[in-house]
Amino acid sequence: MNQAVISCLHANLPAVEAVLKDIELQGITNITCLGDLVGYGPQPNEVIELIRDKEIPTCQGCWDEDVVDGLDACDCSYPSQLAEKRGHFAHQWTTDKLTTENKDYLANLPYSIRKDKCLFVHGSPNSQHEYLLPDMDAFAALERVENARAEILFCGHTHQPYIRELADGSIAVKIKNAVPKDTQEKEIQLPMRRIVNAGSVGEPRHGGTKATYVVHNDVTNEVKIREVEYDIELTCKAIIDAGLPPIFAWRLKNGFEFAEQAEDASHVCER
Amino acid sequence: MIERWALVSGLKGDLDTYELIQKDLKKTPGNITLFVLGDMIGPEKNCNRLLHRLINPKSNDLQPWCIYGWWEEQILLESGYRGDQRAEALRINKGEEVVKSLTNAVDKSFLDWIAALQFGFVELDCGLIHGSSKDVGENLTLDTPPLTLLDRLTRLQVNRLFTARSKQQFHLELTEGIVNSEVEDLNGNRKKEQKVPQKAVIGIGAGKNYTLYDVGTDNTQFVQAGYKTEKRIKGFGRL
Repeated sequence: MNQAVISCLHANLPAVEAVLKDIELQGITNITCLGDLVGYGPQPNEVIELIRDKEIPTCQGCWDEDVVDGLDACDCSYPSQLAEKRGHFAHQWTTDKLTTENKDYLANLPYSIRKDKCLFVHGSPNSQHEYLLPDMDAFAALERVENARAEILFCGHTHQPYIRELADGSIAVKIKNAVPKDTQEKEIQLPMRRIVNAGSVGEPRHGGTKATYVVHNDVTNEVKIREVEYDIELTCKAIIDAGLPPIFAWRLKNGFEFAEQAEDASHVCER
Repeated sequence: MIERWALVSGLKGDLDTYELIQKDLKKTPGNITLFVLGDMIGPEKNCNRLLHRLINPKSNDLQPWCIYGWWEEQILLESGYRGDQRAEALRINKGEEVVKSLTNAVDKSFLDWIAALQFGFVELDCGLIHGSSKDVGENLTLDTPPLTLLDRLTRLQVNRLFTARSKQQFHLELTEGIVNSEVEDLNGNRKKEQKVPQKAVIGIGAGKNYTLYDVGTDNTQFVQAGYKTEKRIKGFGRL
């Protein structure tokens, strides 16, 4: 059976509606959401209510956590202090806009969802804030999946969709200075595991403007990345009308990863 | 001159053992640096004399370089040095009496010094920590999956990781490793074979059991304080 996995909706209602429509057209009813329902975008309440109405199982994302907990998160991907200031502004705006009921909903979202061999998280099994980038150290990536006792790890947070297969692994170990004195050697075979990043519905950072999500067939284990067009102009206008930084709209319209180049190389994560 | 590190942990207030180790090290050839990888304190005995000695070494003492361990973390938690958190894990696992014993074992005047200790040291390509690079309370042992050990090495970007939390003494080498990675994204497919260079995780022991590490040869020697190792050892690194 096919299941759809969506992530990083970021209060972009037209994008969410378009993706849900695309999922519906494929006859898929099993949907899991990996969080970040809010942040950056202009319709946080509307997006939360849509996900709630459709009863889509959802993990808590880093924005969901931080808006609720008032951490005013430092997202380590901010390329500059200027970008971070805009992010903080968006946090405050979102916090002010959210209804109490919707804040409670975000506060009670689980960190992870497990379905048989699949584990669904926002960032990584360790933290909603950890990025599992597509080219990160392969052993470290495998460790995240294996120690979470999953065969397939679905994540988001990077806003870049990918499917990564880690296979044919082994590690050889030798015990030196052992008691008893004999040196012991062995080779451990590593299991094949996959990491599937669903990308982002509401704020793509893959170089294009289309919303992305993934479809997984739990029988064939096939995973496909889906790209969906939506009415970007509508979201951009809502961003401007809401008083959010206009650069958020410019970024969406042009499919840029960041709104500006890093201008402060010394920027250090607050956490 | 041979450069050696002496790696000590789990003294838990035991000044006699510390003095025995200092005495041992005075007889050990080479240029020795002494690292104390946490658990200088514990609930069993008053720790003030040991802490005072660590902070104010005698003129002929080797200067100790200390980091904090699990017991230091507990007292800092309980004393409000970690925000609103308290030592709940200790309270649940060992009971209120042990929490009280711990706080009674350490004079409050030492808490600022303990709070200023680092999580670990990175010397050359070696990480020196109490538990693991993930958590001060994590036990790394010979039974820890190699993939986990490799991850803990990778997090610190080191080739050798010295750990104390398990109290065990071991030297586990990750001699080689390989994994094939295939990534599919919107730009297409790419394959990569990743290999592991030789790395190692070393359990340094606790209390009287400590470790000497020869920086030049990468050999470890597991030592018991006060035990005459000279007669037992031929060369360095094998007992």
